[in-house]
Amino acid sequence: MTFKGGVHPADSKKLSSHCAIKPVPVPKQLSIMLSQHIGAICTPLVNKKDAVTAGQLIANADAFVSAPLHSPVNGIVKDIALCSHPVLGRAQAIIIESSAENQPKQPYPARFDSTFDIAPFSAEQIFNAVRNAGIVGMGGAGFPTSVKIKANPQAPIKDIIINACECEPYITCDYRMMIEWTYQILAGAALIGKTLNCGNIYIGIECNKPDAIEIFEKAIKAAPFAVGMKIAPLHTKYPQGGERQLIKAVLNKNVPTGGVPPMIGVLVSNVATAAAIAEAVAMNSPLTHRAVTVSGHGIKNPGNFYAPIGMAVGELIELAGGLKDNAVKVILGGPMMGFAVADLSTPLTKTSGAVTVFTENDIVKRKETACIRCGRCIAGCPININPTKIAHAVKNNMLDIAQQYYLSACIECGCCTYICPADIELTGYIKTGKILVARQKKLMPK
Amino acid sequence: MAQILTVSPSPHINKHHSTQSIMLDVVIGLVPAAIASFVFFRMKAVVVLASCIISCMVFEVICNCIRKKQNTLGDLSAVVTGIILAFSLPPTIPFWACIIGSGFAIVIGKMVFGGLGANIFNPAMAGRCFLTACFGGMMVSWTVPATLDNNMPKVGASSVAPAAITQATPLGLIKEALKNKSAPQDEKIAAIRGIFKNMLIGSTAGCLGETSTIALLIGGIYLIIRKTIDWIIPVAVLGSAFICAFIACELDPHHYVAPWLHLASGGLLICAFFIATDPVTAPLTKKGMWIFGAGVGALTMLIRLVGEYPEGIMFAVLLMNSVSPLIDRFTKLTPAGGKPNV
Ligand code: SF4
Ligand code: SF4
Repeated sequence: MTFKGGVHPADSKKLSSHCAIKPVPVPKQLSIMLSQHIGAICTPLVNKKDAVTAGQLIANADAFVSAPLHSPVNGIVKDIALCSHPVLGRAQAIIIESSAENQPKQPYPARFDSTFDIAPFSAEQIFNAVRNAGIVGMGGAGFPTSVKIKANPQAPIKDIIINACECEPYITCDYRMMIEWTYQILAGAALIGKTLNCGNIYIGIECNKPDAIEIFEKAIKAAPFAVGMKIAPLHTKYPQGGERQLIKAVLNKNVPTGGVPPMIGVLVSNVATAAAIAEAVAMNSPLTHRAVTVSGHGIKNPGNFYAPIGMAVGELIELAGGLKDNAVKVILGGPMMGFAVADLSTPLTKTSGAVTVFTENDIVKRKETACIRCGRCIAGCPININPTKIAHAVKNNMLDIAQQYYLSACIECGCCTYICPADIELTGYIKTGKILVARQKKLMPK
Repeated sequence: MAQILTVSPSPHINKHHSTQSIMLDVVIGLVPAAIASFVFFRMKAVVVLASCIISCMVFEVICNCIRKKQNTLGDLSAVVTGIILAFSLPPTIPFWACIIGSGFAIVIGKMVFGGLGANIFNPAMAGRCFLTACFGGMMVSWTVPATLDNNMPKVGASSVAPAAITQATPLGLIKEALKNKSAPQDEKIAAIRGIFKNMLIGSTAGCLGETSTIALLIGGIYLIIRKTIDWIIPVAVLGSAFICAFIACELDPHHYVAPWLHLASGGLLICAFFIATDPVTAPLTKKGMWIFGAGVGALTMLIRLVGEYPEGIMFAVLLMNSVSPLIDRFTKLTPAGGKPNV
């Protein structure tokens, strides 16, 4: 089973799939963005010149849909100032200067194994641990996880899917986690199941990772806490890891347009998030580090790193051997949905799973030509809308027509632009259209 | 950092194809039929093909100059139009008529609508339609192929002798054979078999590129394998034509030609694989493609069977082209998650 549409870009994962996740030396300076995720922006709880310790709460928000921030290192708050944000342009960040005696945080600290026991943790405890650890969806969406795992008696969750697809080309950190931190991910999945009192847990893995499938199968057999979890092997196709596409492929259900998975009783969580949950619950440790892939043909030594949130992209690039001479584009995230950054001081956020560096050869950007109405964008659209009609309407400022063609349903996956032979930035036009519609509805200031 | 980094919206990679590479694929798909036309019509084929292609390109350049638009010769669509126009003309047509047809195809068929992508009608068919309207007689005079007439000037010959033996198209021949009431049944079948064999290799009278069934099939299958064209339109065209021909043949086998003979006629194949599949003038959605293809197939057969007009393709395609925006409107897509409730 699979979803309709989608594209097959070369996965290019060989560059870094063999590289184990390595801890990085503590950076001298970290910039922790106050806006890391969907939901309320945090307010700093520290002042300039305050001393902070690793794991200390440094910012929080009272809103339900939010997640607190913690310092990844011991150090001193240097400033609270504007700094480059991958999506928002410039935004407030807490800048921490780390002290000399810091030791790099080792990945996989708890050494989870098949004997892990979820019995001691009550649903309440798990929820609080996740909330206090500041965990957000680490696969890219960045929705605060505590909100998702709060049991709602009106709409009980019937199926949980662990998203282990990693369908974006080049990125391999999820894959490395799957083979290195297998039990930690399974423990996280079991803990989510426990808070929601739901035993139907699926692990969706793309078939281009046969070894990960095998390792998970073995681990599920070996670990009593994982009994009953099911592996769902999925087609290798982008965007298999999109929430809607994943649910369609695993459960053959459609999430209503404009709705969210809980409306049909499904929760999707990415492997990195599951691993973070396990760590937060078992060790009470907040989310301050994450696995990041640094890859692409423009980087000298691609690899996977366990880096603190707030580390500058440029520093990670240096750790991976630096840029090659022909590098022209640095993308925070993968090539299909990531954001190109111009400023290498841009810090990592909780949702940055990769830094992809491209050379001139990778980004053959040609000039936009006339649409030849070939229909490829429609065939490739995973949510079955008409990208060319919408883009055309946006271009001509006919927002009502764009909306009639379901502009709002677009998940911005990029398949249409990827496949268009006329090189029309369909996704770009659609994103612009969404902003214009929001402005028209006065949801967004001019 | 020495490098200047570029920034652009996602996605950051493209599939490595372009309008140009798609058109190039279509040209490659047309090569087998072109070779067949050189074999069977020799120098005449060269003259018609060359004059159509070159004049289409020249008109494209002129139009771009007048419209002060960037040169679009590179997308190769003019070449494709030229080849398809040439393939739908009889080999005896003089070169000046080719130029007139090409001019109409590019200028009126494409450029006045705003160029590639904006035209409503298939330019090659528009050009052919114009020629049919102006020089009706010239458009239905079929020379016999070189395999039957050794006086046909060879490729490279300096003069193109106008004198040529004419013959009816294979479908016409078959119809005649059927109508011949006096001939015994097995003789009729043998005659039809012979004509069918000639149709397969292309040794029959007919338009330049339409005679060889095998050559067209090779090209068409190449395009489908390369995913340059969607398989839906060819299947819909051939399927609906087959059904129509089958019904007619069941009703009156003495009057109507067997359905597989209709399918083997090159005109229908070139239409199914190369003309109806022109993306610009066909609908966008898969459902729309089915409707469009079925319409082309059915209309072609209607014109062939009822109208007794041998070449139904051109009108069928042009008619369906005109409703293609309508089909698009009626086959509007619903998002996978259903209509949003706003
Ligand atoms: S970006 Fe939007 S319109 Fe384009 S393929 Fe993805 S969902 Fe469809
Ligand atoms: S893929 Fe590009 S050229 Fe083809 S219909 Fe869509 S927008 Fe037009």
